[in-house]
Amino acid sequence: MTAMVLPARTNGPGAPAVVIRGVSKSFPGVNALIDVSVDILQGEIHCWIGENGAGKSTLIKILAGAQSRDSGLIKLDNRDVALSSPTDAMHEGLSFILQELSVVDGITVADNILLGHEVRRGPEIRRAPSNARAAELLKTIGFGYLSPAAKVGDLSTAEKQAVMVARALHLEARVVFLDETTSTLDADEVSRLFDVMRTLRDKGTSVVFVTHRLQEVMQVADRVTVFKDGQVVQTLLRSEVSESLMVRLMVGREISNFFPPKDRTAGSVVLAARGVGTVGVRDLTLDLRSGEVLGIAGLVGSGRTEALRALFGIDRIRAGTLEVAGQLISLRGIRDAIGRGIAMVPEDRRSQGIIALRSVEENLTITWTDQERSRGWRRKALEITSRFVSELRVRTPSLRQPIGLLSGGNQQKVIVARWLAVQPRVLLLDEPTRGIDVGARAEIYRLIDKLAREGLAVVVVSSDLPEILGLSDRIVVMKDGTVAGELPGTASEEDVVALAMSHGGNAS
Amino acid sequence: MTNQAVSIRQWIGRQRRNPAVATVIILLVLGVIFSLMSDRFLTWENIQNVTRSSAAVMTVGCAVTLVMIARGLDLSVGSILAATGVLAAFLAANGVELWIAYLAALALGALIGALNGAIIVGLKVTPIIATLGTLNIARGIAYLITPSAILVGLPAAWQTLGTSRVAGIPVPVIVAGLVILFFSWLLNRTVFGRHVYAIGGNEEAARLAGVRVDRVLFLLYLMAGTSAGLAAIVLSSRLGTGDPNIGIGFEFDVIVAVILGGTSLAGGQGRISGTVLGALIVGFLSNGLNLVGVEPFWQYVAKGTALVVAVVLDRLASREPSGIRPGLSQAPQAPEQEGDKSGRNGASE
Repeated sequence: MTAMVLPARTNGPGAPAVVIRGVSKSFPGVNALIDVSVDILQGEIHCWIGENGAGKSTLIKILAGAQSRDSGLIKLDNRDVALSSPTDAMHEGLSFILQELSVVDGITVADNILLGHEVRRGPEIRRAPSNARAAELLKTIGFGYLSPAAKVGDLSTAEKQAVMVARALHLEARVVFLDETTSTLDADEVSRLFDVMRTLRDKGTSVVFVTHRLQEVMQVADRVTVFKDGQVVQTLLRSEVSESLMVRLMVGREISNFFPPKDRTAGSVVLAARGVGTVGVRDLTLDLRSGEVLGIAGLVGSGRTEALRALFGIDRIRAGTLEVAGQLISLRGIRDAIGRGIAMVPEDRRSQGIIALRSVEENLTITWTDQERSRGWRRKALEITSRFVSELRVRTPSLRQPIGLLSGGNQQKVIVARWLAVQPRVLLLDEPTRGIDVGARAEIYRLIDKLAREGLAVVVVSSDLPEILGLSDRIVVMKDGTVAGELPGTASEEDVVALAMSHGGNAS
Repeated sequence: MTNQAVSIRQWIGRQRRNPAVATVIILLVLGVIFSLMSDRFLTWENIQNVTRSSAAVMTVGCAVTLVMIARGLDLSVGSILAATGVLAAFLAANGVELWIAYLAALALGALIGALNGAIIVGLKVTPIIATLGTLNIARGIAYLITPSAILVGLPAAWQTLGTSRVAGIPVPVIVAGLVILFFSWLLNRTVFGRHVYAIGGNEEAARLAGVRVDRVLFLLYLMAGTSAGLAAIVLSSRLGTGDPNIGIGFEFDVIVAVILGGTSLAGGQGRISGTVLGALIVGFLSNGLNLVGVEPFWQYVAKGTALVVAVVLDRLASREPSGIRPGLSQAPQAPEQEGDKSGRNGASE
């Protein structure tokens, strides 16, 4: 066991660690990468941005050895490398940390970090040196408080990512790729992850960070490469970038009025929660009004998603009451909520929203068909689907296309349309733009505005604070499973953060 | 002519993804091999024989196809076949009217199916364990009713159902045909069928979309148990007995048929037509091996191999160039899984 914390440096910082030259890759019908050339320098934080389908993920897959390239060279230390398998990539010192984390929940922190490269004597793992090694690596990246003996399943997402980073260090990674790893983190965790990235950089490791959030790029990047339609548009230095420039390069046009204007007028209360308590929230009091967008902000774990779960009848209500138009109602399950005109677009589109293998039509009409009893339902379902597909401008080659083949933004539109087809009065949106590119995001915002103007009560839960501020007429800030306070739509980011992180109250 | 050649090639290209094609090819290859090895294989009488003996697998396989599309499993159908068949014969031999005996068999099948559903849905036991339990429970019930085959005392009419023909077609084949039609309709033409696919594709998403997941799953196991009861009536009648030993390994034939028919083990995909072909493959395989003179013990080896080969083929067929969605997929470390999700055409029909 001779692993070092510091990667072997053959050249000084600033020299290229990985040189990518003229890499192309095509799939039937798609040129995923066209003659892409990028350098990854030693000891830099290099952000890759671009809309979904721009080619970032394909390039990462090629570097990870999960896909082959059609042409082009990849050089490490002036040496052509094949990168023909994931093991190959690992031996070349390339480490990948993905949104869907590949940690093993059931085993300890130390075992995860050392997995496959254990400290051992013969077949036997040597426990004490293993734990010491893990602790040392965690300390390097500022997560020294994590116990090497803790079960990884008990950690937060941010801590799991730290475990993955420590693992990369153990494998003496020269380049660590983080693909959209911040989208599941709250602001505090994001800034800690940025600290980790900076630590890696200062030690001479290169960091490639893929994100959809431009503020994050502004915060952390040394250099930025913009991808569009499978090509590199430009690589920029930190000093050259601005958010508007990045958007223009990514989309190819300026997106003006990213958020629609908020001159909406709120109507009557359509759903009210009075002191509601469930397994995840306590004393939740909220008014949802027709014609307005209510934003729910708060740290991850503050009970935002759980508030929606309570309103949608998923978690059993143990205390308090729900009222519709002044009348007490009881929700015994999701179907009760749907019957009351309440709809929810869940947080994790892949695992909770779409049925990937089934068609756009089946995904869009799954709730509607359940309420339709006429004999001609198959024809009607197609009509409804084609109406919403054109209204919401869902880009799909056909209504029979498996939804898993659409982009994230188009999938999300189908899931929203699933509910619009049954004409709800309350629409609960949990992280409606997670993993969705800039162009489609603006479309989702316009859709939310349009629905509110048509009289829907819309609730938006989001970890993306500018999104909450840009969309909401009112903002409810949650903390420790309950409402910490309410702010007007004109509130500032600081106001929200202050409430979300405030101490005191009856938190225990 | 070249135009035609091009369109044929396009058609072949499209069919490459269709799991039914592989099933038909396996069936044809088996047919060619066995007809070369035995001149009795490719006779009208033999084909009729095999079709009739495959009828039970088809009758039960349809419901099990739906169960497996919904990502469930039912191992208990062979034992239910025995318990319900023995019950019908026992009642008939004791002077109960035949149609009441049949109804009782169907009811017992439905009851055990409902028990499966209740254990899986209500008590949240995984299907493989739940139905492994009821497999033994049902077999026990069969032996409790009678420890050995009922041969005496059965009314003359007992054999009518299984051995007579309508318009030249054996009744067991007609029953299987009706069951096939019913489940094809249920799966492809009804909201219920859509929910079956949705649950197999993503149970959590289906639940959050308002689908009554528990109810659908319960009904599927109920239907599987009931169709085993139906198959038992026909089979016991054809065999002229009620035998607590029948149906041992029957669940295996059914599951092989379903998988050979292209139903994905990962759920969310599958067709009734595939299962029908799969049942014929299973039938022709044992029949062909018999005709060629392979010892029965070796037939176990052959069938077991067929199951493993079918599963491996399923895996290979689902492996795709994983980059259909270059912008979407975010898991470079799991290309196979990606291919699995994006691979086969999910649209029905």
